[in-house]
Amino acid sequence: MISSRNRRTIWLLKGGLIVASFVLFITTVLLYVSQAQQGALLTATVRSSGWVAYQARLELLKTEAAFARTSVIPTEDGLRTLSMRLEILRSRLPLLYNSDEGRLLRGVLDIQPQVQDYEIKVDRVLDEVETLDPEDGNTVRRLQELQTTLEPLGQLLHSTLMQSVAYNQELFRREKELAQTPGVVPLVLLFISGAALALLLFLQARGDRLRLDQLMEAQSALGAMEENLRAVIQSVPACMLVIDPADDTVTFFNSSAAAFISTSADDPGWQRLVRGARDAARAVNGNQWGYLSMAYTRPDGEVVSLRGSFCEVLWQQRPQLLLVLVDTTRVRNAELQVMQAAKLATLGEMATAIAHELNQPLAVIKMAVANAKRLLEPLTGGEPVAVKLDRISAQVDRAKRITDQVRRYGRMPTEQQQLFSLRNAVEMAMGFVTEQFRSADIRLSIQAEVPPELAVFGEQTMFEQVIVNLLVNAHDAFESGPANRARAVRVTVRSEDDRARVEVQDNAGGIAPEILARLFEPFATTKPTEKGTGLGLSLARSVVRDMGGSIVGENIENGARFVISLPTSIAFVSRDAA
Amino acid sequence: MSQLRTILICDDEEELAHELGEFFEGNGWKVDVCVTGMAAIEKLRKGLAPHVLITDLRISDFDGAQVVSVARELPPEMRPLMTIIITGHVMDTARAVDFMCDYLYVKPIDPDVLLANIGEFLAHRTFPAAGRS
Repeated sequence: MISSRNRRTIWLLKGGLIVASFVLFITTVLLYVSQAQQGALLTATVRSSGWVAYQARLELLKTEAAFARTSVIPTEDGLRTLSMRLEILRSRLPLLYNSDEGRLLRGVLDIQPQVQDYEIKVDRVLDEVETLDPEDGNTVRRLQELQTTLEPLGQLLHSTLMQSVAYNQELFRREKELAQTPGVVPLVLLFISGAALALLLFLQARGDRLRLDQLMEAQSALGAMEENLRAVIQSVPACMLVIDPADDTVTFFNSSAAAFISTSADDPGWQRLVRGARDAARAVNGNQWGYLSMAYTRPDGEVVSLRGSFCEVLWQQRPQLLLVLVDTTRVRNAELQVMQAAKLATLGEMATAIAHELNQPLAVIKMAVANAKRLLEPLTGGEPVAVKLDRISAQVDRAKRITDQVRRYGRMPTEQQQLFSLRNAVEMAMGFVTEQFRSADIRLSIQAEVPPELAVFGEQTMFEQVIVNLLVNAHDAFESGPANRARAVRVTVRSEDDRARVEVQDNAGGIAPEILARLFEPFATTKPTEKGTGLGLSLARSVVRDMGGSIVGENIENGARFVISLPTSIAFVSRDAA
Repeated sequence: MSQLRTILICDDEEELAHELGEFFEGNGWKVDVCVTGMAAIEKLRKGLAPHVLITDLRISDFDGAQVVSVARELPPEMRPLMTIIITGHVMDTARAVDFMCDYLYVKPIDPDVLLANIGEFLAHRTFPAAGRS
């Protein structure tokens, strides 16, 4: 990720580059213009340099003419004119090297020392001329001599002029060539630099565009990922909280946490939960998942077991703490209940075995009593003993009923289904709990509006267990229900068309609303773990369903009612009737 | 009852076997008691030919149903007229026919019911006048 500082630096660099390119471009243009101007100036100067030599030469010729004229007939005027000419010539000579043109010429031909020699010579000639007398006969000769001394100057000036011209011609040719391809090279260069600049800009723009696309793509991918993550966090069945470590306030909570504590962040429950988790975390070392184990009391008084961990996260651009907690209450209860169920299953097996073993001595007692009675018969006064023997026999019968029921209840279900009398099965089931109800002072009554022949199809023992279960539940409900009422459980059996209806109704105060919704779910129980497995009603529902029926639980006035609806069989009735 | 009825009782629960035997003797039966399955089979094979055979279903490690099946395969003149199995085991779904016997009782048995059932059963059978001791 590029930091904002880095990005600023890049932008500065780019801006600098663009400005530099622009400056370079302007400079190139200016340079081109100035070069062109200088070129023009140079041409003009070089051309004019021939002019200086030409002027000097012209002046020399004029001077020579003045010499010639004066040497024929030397006059005062002629000598004056000659002097003037010589002066003019003298003034022209320094221009050959000391003017703009002359300086340029000097680069081509170094004539300064020679010209300066002639300057001295001309000065001397001038001095002499001024001393000459027109009347003197030597004057003519002297003038001729003086003229001769200046002749080499003519040659020098001529050659200078010639060379100047030649140079100018070469220059002119080049200039012409240049004019034919005017500024192509700088133009091309300029174009290339411009193109390079444009390319640079294009490439830069393209690169930027690509980077922008990548950035956008990455950003959208990041956005989608964040969205997914958020959805995951919201939908996990664990409580997830983000806590500001500075003041332990909750800055985020997912929906599970909201359902657990509150949808409002101001709820005091959050602080309580965070404090509890903090305390629990302090109590243990390590940071692996599940190291933190705590209990939390909900506002309704329910104590919940929680398990989870803290971890550091970067949330809203600053380090915070993520607290993840899972409600393990149900798992713990389920574990206890499974243990309980296993214990009960073992107990069932034991009960069956005990019932079987008890039947052996009972059988002996029964036979022995029968024999004793027979032996007593011929004796007189044995009637009270006979009554006792009858009582023993009756008690054996009672014990037999108990072992029968224990055996039935404890045995594992078989797959065998058959028709059985609904009413008998209900009465049998009620018989099993009669003692229990009596000792708990609960009135158990039956209202059977069906004939004993009315049959249903299924496994009788299992069905009996369903009824027993409903009755035991009703019995247990009184323990936690209101005590100021005459306790009563009523069982009603009736038939409607081709269905039979069994109702078990109590006045124990009804079922708690939170349980009512999941009444038939496995492990849904209101009983303490040591008492109920939470499997009874779940099992009941599957048994009733296997019989093609249904079972519902509802609250009525002062209590609860379970209604079992079953299809009845005509076949059994008609067969029995036959 | 003009004729002496005979019964073979087989149960490893000796006290029960003897009480049962006493009961039947008291009711005028000639009783034989065995406490092992093998002894019962031996007596049957030797031609005891009782009218009624009562056996426990599990006699130690022996199967009472085996005693019954041996009895049923005897020649007609040696075969008991009626076979009964008594058991202390869980037998909710079991029927007498499952063991090829005539009656199946779960312990403890009501002796009067047992006697009445036997009487009723035998009343429908032709009672051989001779050949049985």
